[in-house]
Amino acid sequence: MSDLSRLLRVELARYVHRRAVLVLLGACLVVPVLVGAMTLWDSRPVSADDHALAEARARAECMDRPRVHNDTAGSIDLGGLCLARVSERTEELLSRPPLDLDEEREGGSGPAVASLVAIALLLAGTTFTGHDWASRSVSNQLLFEPRRGRVWAAKAAVVSGAALVVAALVLSSYWLVLATVAEARETLRPGQLVDALQMGWRASGVAAAAALLGFAMTTLFRSTVATIGILLGFAVAGSLLLAGLGVSERWNPAMNLVALIDDGTTYYDDKCAYYDAGHPGDHSCAEVLSFTDAALYLGTIVGLVCVASDRSFRRRDVP
Amino acid sequence: MSTPAIETVRLRKEFSTRAGLRVAVQDLDLSVPAGGGVHGFLGPNGSGKTTTIRMLLGLARATSGEMRLFGESVPERLPAVIGRVGAVVESPKFSPNFSGRLNLRLLADAIGAPRSRVDAAIETVQMQGRDRDRYRSYSLGMKQRLAIAATLLKDPELLILDEPTNGLDPAGIREVRETIRGLGDAGVTVLLSSHILAEVQQVCTSATIIGNGRMLASGRVEDLLGASTAFRAVVPDPERAVAVLGAAGLSAVVEDGGVRVETTDAARITRLLGEAGIWLSELTTLRPDLETYFLRLTEAERLGREP
Repeated sequence: MSDLSRLLRVELARYVHRRAVLVLLGACLVVPVLVGAMTLWDSRPVSADDHALAEARARAECMDRPRVHNDTAGSIDLGGLCLARVSERTEELLSRPPLDLDEEREGGSGPAVASLVAIALLLAGTTFTGHDWASRSVSNQLLFEPRRGRVWAAKAAVVSGAALVVAALVLSSYWLVLATVAEARETLRPGQLVDALQMGWRASGVAAAAALLGFAMTTLFRSTVATIGILLGFAVAGSLLLAGLGVSERWNPAMNLVALIDDGTTYYDDKCAYYDAGHPGDHSCAEVLSFTDAALYLGTIVGLVCVASDRSFRRRDVP
Repeated sequence: MSTPAIETVRLRKEFSTRAGLRVAVQDLDLSVPAGGGVHGFLGPNGSGKTTTIRMLLGLARATSGEMRLFGESVPERLPAVIGRVGAVVESPKFSPNFSGRLNLRLLADAIGAPRSRVDAAIETVQMQGRDRDRYRSYSLGMKQRLAIAATLLKDPELLILDEPTNGLDPAGIREVRETIRGLGDAGVTVLLSSHILAEVQQVCTSATIIGNGRMLASGRVEDLLGASTAFRAVVPDPERAVAVLGAAGLSAVVEDGGVRVETTDAARITRLLGEAGIWLSELTTLRPDLETYFLRLTEAERLGREP
């Protein structure tokens, strides 16, 4: 067995033995199950029992109405009118959108599940290496493998590889389960599953990159808290800061993330709107941000952080 | 002459602090011969011992100077020799939520050592029964023993031990001391950094003393301490013994109930006292111990004068 593959095995063992990592990997399974269960429940077909219950509720609403109401136009039997509309009201009460994979993928549970899985895997990457620094066990590891570049690469490969596999499995399973149920409910249309799976795989790539970013930042700052603080701060104030600085949405990481997961997105350029202010309606300010452009932009950011992290790990003294 | 196990030439380490530049190690020339034996590495707190060790092991970068382990330049060639070097630096550093055994197993796997070596190391430090407990539940002494076990995973030719008996009870200290002595006798070269000087004196054949990052003395312990020049004689009548020895031209004083005599000739003391009818009940060599020598040396260094 080569040195590097041995190191990969060791780091993988270290990864799966860490409790915090296991909890986060568990969250990657539990959260989609809960969200999926809620999605399926909220879109369940109407049963005879549901219909009977809704009708009973509609009739009960009519019981509260007065039988006769006097006004200037004469007397009106509100209760009777209400009863005449019972079937209409019953349909209203039963109105539940059917399970639609396109809806779920574009704005429903799909993006939510993908985001939560990516965040959990980012935290797993962060806490995995943060623990090494907090316990200072990294110095002991280096006494057995002093090639720091290899150690960094092995840890990075394990963190991002594990994130990719876990996210791909979880998200693929999520869409497969939803598609199976949709097919059973006869709401699945051709091509929907492939689109959903592709979205899941793109999101898996994002999750792997997020885990790598978390690992690289924590190795750079040698602190889980610092990494989470910076990422949280940017998530909360980043968009406002960029807008305040007059930076185009094109360069907003959140917008680029959406473009990555959705295979491209549309954004509005404020500078364009200002330029066309005298000719409203003549020109659309909507710009398309492609998957490739977003991948290049975010990939460059992650790559730069990785280079800085690796350099720092190789050069700085280890406590 | 064989290649030294450890060699540093004009080794220097500077730290940037808020107060300015701090020199932790300055122009240190250290040489520890290979082939077994225990070499003490002594110095007061903050004298640069741990920094030197950390530089030798690639955990800290030297500002300037050269370092070699078994003739290989480090840190450049460290991967080539690290398999021959076991080390405990400062306090033991393991993953607190892993068991002692898992911590050792991961380190053994990293160098491709067989699992049987983990069992052997655990047995050597007598941690059977507690090896599957979480590391965080260990006492400081147990953590220290686990750190020593980790160094044994490599079957090293050079052991670098930085305060290895910290936190150990007297029995543990004795065990570690015997282990270190045994390793030294078995051909392992041990660099032992410790502030417990009596312990160092008991196991070390040679020593290097540093202060403020500079080497103050280095050599065989016996040579460092020099030959004995005084004896303590215990007799029934110390006053009379002082008079007899003084009359013979020896410098003698009553001290702690006995007589301190300045001479290198013990036989002369027994003969003079015997001829005067004073029978010795005890005659002890007053050899300067390492602690006295160390304190004299470091105090002189602090005051900037010759010891």
